[in-house]
Amino acid sequence: MSATAPEAVAGARTGLAGALVVPATIFVAIGLLGPIAILFRYSLNQFIPGQFMVDGLTIENYVKFFTDGYYLNVLVRTVRVAVICTIACLIMGFPLAYVLARMTSPRKNLLIMLVVLPLFVGNAVRAAGWMAAFGSKGALNASLIGLGLIDQPLEIMFTENAVLIGIVAVNLPFMVLTLQSVIEGIPRHVEEAAFSLGAGPMAMFRRVLWPLALPGILAGTILTFILAMNAYATPVLLGGPKFQMMGPLVYGQFAQQNNWPFGGAISFILMTATIVLTVAAHLIVQRRYR
Amino acid sequence: MARLSIEHLRKSYGDLTVVDDVAIDIADGEFLVLLGPSGCGKTTTLRMVAGFVPPSAGRITIGERDVTTLPPWKRNCGLVFQSYALFPHMTVAENVAFGLEMRKVAPADRAPRVAEALRLVQLTGFDGRYPRQLSGGQQQRVALARALAMEPDVLLLDEPLSNLDAKLRQEVRVEIRELQRKLGLTTIMVTHDQEEALTMADRLVVMEKGKVRQIGSQRELYERPADRFVAGFIGRSAFLDGESLAPGRFVSAGGLHIACAAATGQGGATLALRPERIAVGSDAAGLANRFEARVEHAAYLGALIDIHVRLSEQDQMLLQLPNRQGFAEPRPGDSITIGWAEDAGLVYALES
Repeated sequence: MSATAPEAVAGARTGLAGALVVPATIFVAIGLLGPIAILFRYSLNQFIPGQFMVDGLTIENYVKFFTDGYYLNVLVRTVRVAVICTIACLIMGFPLAYVLARMTSPRKNLLIMLVVLPLFVGNAVRAAGWMAAFGSKGALNASLIGLGLIDQPLEIMFTENAVLIGIVAVNLPFMVLTLQSVIEGIPRHVEEAAFSLGAGPMAMFRRVLWPLALPGILAGTILTFILAMNAYATPVLLGGPKFQMMGPLVYGQFAQQNNWPFGGAISFILMTATIVLTVAAHLIVQRRYR
Repeated sequence: MARLSIEHLRKSYGDLTVVDDVAIDIADGEFLVLLGPSGCGKTTTLRMVAGFVPPSAGRITIGERDVTTLPPWKRNCGLVFQSYALFPHMTVAENVAFGLEMRKVAPADRAPRVAEALRLVQLTGFDGRYPRQLSGGQQQRVALARALAMEPDVLLLDEPLSNLDAKLRQEVRVEIRELQRKLGLTTIMVTHDQEEALTMADRLVVMEKGKVRQIGSQRELYERPADRFVAGFIGRSAFLDGESLAPGRFVSAGGLHIACAAATGQGGATLALRPERIAVGSDAAGLANRFEARVEHAAYLGALIDIHVRLSEQDQMLLQLPNRQGFAEPRPGDSITIGWAEDAGLVYALES
């Protein structure tokens, strides 16, 4: 490297750049990788009721998961909820992100704050609010029954729909913000060039905007998909005790059943499923558009 | 190709009028340049023709079609942007074919037209490259080929050369002009670069503050500027403020009596002279107007020398002398004789 070449990172030559990544690396190693490794080891142990956990090297916990219809059902339901939520976030988030990205008025920052607003309210608080609004004795049902429009209260709480709505409401801001920043990087002139060349709005979207926004679409869908796969509070609070997803299932095994080996195995299945589905979707999309 | 007509075009944003009653007729195959300082409304006018900005009033006709309310994708205007606006995810050939694809031209028929467009801009063989693999000049040509391939009725160029370096700009000017002539393209170009405008245009439109100040050929704009703004914007002018006393007589603010054919006795006015038409020293002998002047500043520009002189307490002007062999430039403080003919100046009434 010549002496005048700019440094890729300020301080690269003095080793300062190396030092800069150390704190985060240590934090992730201690806070995340270590526990995961221990968890994986636990998942290979045996569980004998009354004895808590017995050291071993067995795959029986994984076998148990994949041979029991109940657990498989929870996994399928979790994936289904995550996929539906991600698609819903993309469909609702894209137009909003586009409008925000193309906006030049000073109100833009205010609108971005409004998009982020749902994240200011904790999951538990929001769920409590929904119980008051949508419960069988909640404001909505009371109004509809009061108006004589329905006889029986609508069942909204403790259904899959309630969970879907809840997760979408939390994940939408992540999708919108990710897409918005990528769309802002697409020059307006490129869209105008497509229009001038005879492309209507749909053709412009399909051939220009969508492919150019693809990195943001991938980032946004990955983010919302991972969040949805691992959702905990929303399914517990809005789905009720009978609606099981993977996140609460893991917690149940650890905290209620004290079955750490099986909990560890479920954790790993959840993590693997999330990673495999994310990478697979990524590859399919890239092959289709590159 | 077709003629283009702009009638009473206006664009207002609330109380702010950015384009005010613009009327321009462009003949079939004509190269028209919209020229003006930034914020004069030239780009907004072009964007109204392209269909990106809806006019507040007025009419735009291409050939026999009234396109005033048509969306851009139905106007058939080829557009080249300052930033080129190539599609970064498509190859050169895909970029150029885009307009044909949108017009549902069969894939087999696209290839020869893409090849022809790339040949016109001398980029044969670049089909498979991506825009990021091209230099600025090459990207500019792809943008031009993309606009040409769809055989537009009108070609619109929005400062197409301002991102190129000076040397390349001069080459591309000539290339675009030749191509435009060969294909007989009705063209509107927007630029703030006077030299670019003068070298490329058939006719120029000088705009300022949303209004058309003057439309004409290079010679008309330079020899007969319609107002003081044009006189100062196209080329340079030496201005003397004063009063037009009577036909043929002008008196400057500093009290110099000037014989001037253009003075008509209109009262408060400005006399505009072309700095290179003011003679110095023995060249000034025999001219109707001769004055002693004190040199305040001389700037050596190579082929030309700019000299700022003071004629009286309140009268200053600029002259421009060719840098002839053996010419010794005057120094600040020198006293020189300057002069100009009676018919050299133009007089503009003061603008209210």
